[in-house]
Amino acid sequence: AVVSTQSTGKKISKDTVSRLEEFALYLRESKKERRSYVSVVKTVNVFRDLICTSEWVTARELIKIIKSYCKYLPLSQSNETDVSNVVRRILKIIREENAGSEATSFADGLSSFFKSDMKASSIGRPDLQDNILNSIVELLSELETSKSNIINMALEHIHSNERILTFGHSNTVRDFLLHGRKARDFEVIVCESGPSLKGHKMAAELSDGGIKTTVIPDSSAFAIIHAVNKVIIGTHTIMADGALRAPNGVHQLAMAAKYFSVPVIVCAAVYKLSPTHLCSYDPDAFNKVIGPENMLNFSNEKLHSKVLISNPDFDYVPSDFIELFITNTGGHAPSYLYRIISELYHPEDYDLDNMCVEAVEDDICI
Amino acid sequence: SSGINAEYGEIRSHLNIALKPCFSYLAQCRMMSVSMENFIKHIKLQITKTSPDLSDNEAKEELLFECENFFKENIYLAGKSISEKAVARIVNGDMILIYKKSQLILHILLEAKRQRKQFKVMVVDSRPDLTGVASCERLTAAGIPCSYVYINSCTYIMKKVTKVLLASDALLANGYVLGPVGTAMIGLIASNYNTPVIVCCETYKFSERVQTDSILYNELADPDSMLKTLNADDSLVAGWRESPNTRLVNLVYDTTPPALVSIVITEIAELPCTSAPVVLR
Repeated sequence: AVVSTQSTGKKISKDTVSRLEEFALYLRESKKERRSYVSVVKTVNVFRDLICTSEWVTARELIKIIKSYCKYLPLSQSNETDVSNVVRRILKIIREENAGSEATSFADGLSSFFKSDMKASSIGRPDLQDNILNSIVELLSELETSKSNIINMALEHIHSNERILTFGHSNTVRDFLLHGRKARDFEVIVCESGPSLKGHKMAAELSDGGIKTTVIPDSSAFAIIHAVNKVIIGTHTIMADGALRAPNGVHQLAMAAKYFSVPVIVCAAVYKLSPTHLCSYDPDAFNKVIGPENMLNFSNEKLHSKVLISNPDFDYVPSDFIELFITNTGGHAPSYLYRIISELYHPEDYDLDNMCVEAVEDDICI
Repeated sequence: SSGINAEYGEIRSHLNIALKPCFSYLAQCRMMSVSMENFIKHIKLQITKTSPDLSDNEAKEELLFECENFFKENIYLAGKSISEKAVARIVNGDMILIYKKSQLILHILLEAKRQRKQFKVMVVDSRPDLTGVASCERLTAAGIPCSYVYINSCTYIMKKVTKVLLASDALLANGYVLGPVGTAMIGLIASNYNTPVIVCCETYKFSERVQTDSILYNELADPDSMLKTLNADDSLVAGWRESPNTRLVNLVYDTTPPALVSIVITEIAELPCTSAPVVLR
């Protein structure tokens, strides 16, 4: 298949097309156990490919191409925020390299942050492409070291003989705690996070790493939380105001922690920080409701098709419940995150579906 | 009572001695609940109060009548009285949240349905025992529209709920409600969403004990029941007994602070949690 853009008539090679399609398929299919770090690195590589092989002259054209490809990906589903965030990082890199030495600052006035800096630049494609690719290599190394940056802060936050409560399974939190175990002796209580029971996996991994672990059902969280020193959790996404889209059950845990004034600490890399806000609690807009086969047996004929079963995958946790975010750029209060967003992403990319008027006429037909 | 001298008036001391090993056996099998302790206290009191003029058989009959009466008044009639008061609070269009399975709460809801009230029920369940499924079955059989969620999703559905109806295992003297583990969490979520929490408790469950947290006095259920999964895969901590670092803790009760409960309905009156000691007097 050959891809062409209608207005410019330029073509993208078959190779690139097959890689793009493969990536789109990967996102569509791997709904369940997708590790966000792996897909983020994949995303960067695919888009690096797209930048090198597609036909563009100006940065504006390149951005149009990238955004058109994004329309083809299932990015609007709540599962894919880390991919969207990395695409936004790449777009910001492109805009920055295009603006070159004319870095926007407050001296230019607040409007300079918002006006499109896509004026025709003096930098030609080869130089621009080189600069962009160099920055992308830096981005990749930042992604690679994000986990180690987070876990190196473990010793600042874990004391000896502490009791830490965690929820379900998170690769970041698990490595954070295992790193802390190397120097400190402490206990971990894991909520099993029904109905998926990911907490069992976390407990097995932690106790294999030498940490004394206790598994409790989620209903016991309120009963034991007053005896716990802190709550350390991972999250799926961090919203722009410091709220979380976290696995189902974290909101009630955070409520219980707040009731007893137990601090809640979230360990997450900065590529999970999304410049979107919660606009609606509807399942389609924010949440994802998955099949109830882990909640109730299909063989139960008395309840078959008579009972409405809800199995939401995510929970919205407002930012008032969170004490601290530990990210690869350091520890931040929820109120500081807006600053990080303005450094990482450009306002025009917050909504990836938004394209400037001319771009709407172009379409990549595959 | 075999092997005990059946003399007039001696039943008072002899029966107490005969019953002691029975009670301690029960206590060894499983920790006694507050209601059991209250009944044992009551029956011991009745034994010491039996008139010395009665023959053994007459005294035994009187005591048996006392037992039946305890059940009839404190459990059966109390249940009916509570149910009347609770049903009066259910209005058409309500979405009532209940937690797991309780005979009393199911009785209230079925009675409300009999009185042709239009309401829906949200059944919240939790692992490992999942008794909420049985609640759902009873309610759907009676034609009451039900929804079913795990306790994790309680925050997700709480904004649709108009009332929370909870059962309890005991009401402590400082106003804390002892209930199945998870009750406190539901009370917390409901109070965050400003949903009224109604606790139903018969007076035979009132206790003189005071407690401020759930750990001091609790019961541990079978930890291996936490390993049950609904799909075929084994739990990843199935080998927990061999691992020196892993423990499973399956609490039975938890205490709900009185601030999270709106009202307690007993057969005598509807009172705030903190008035429990008044009733005990």
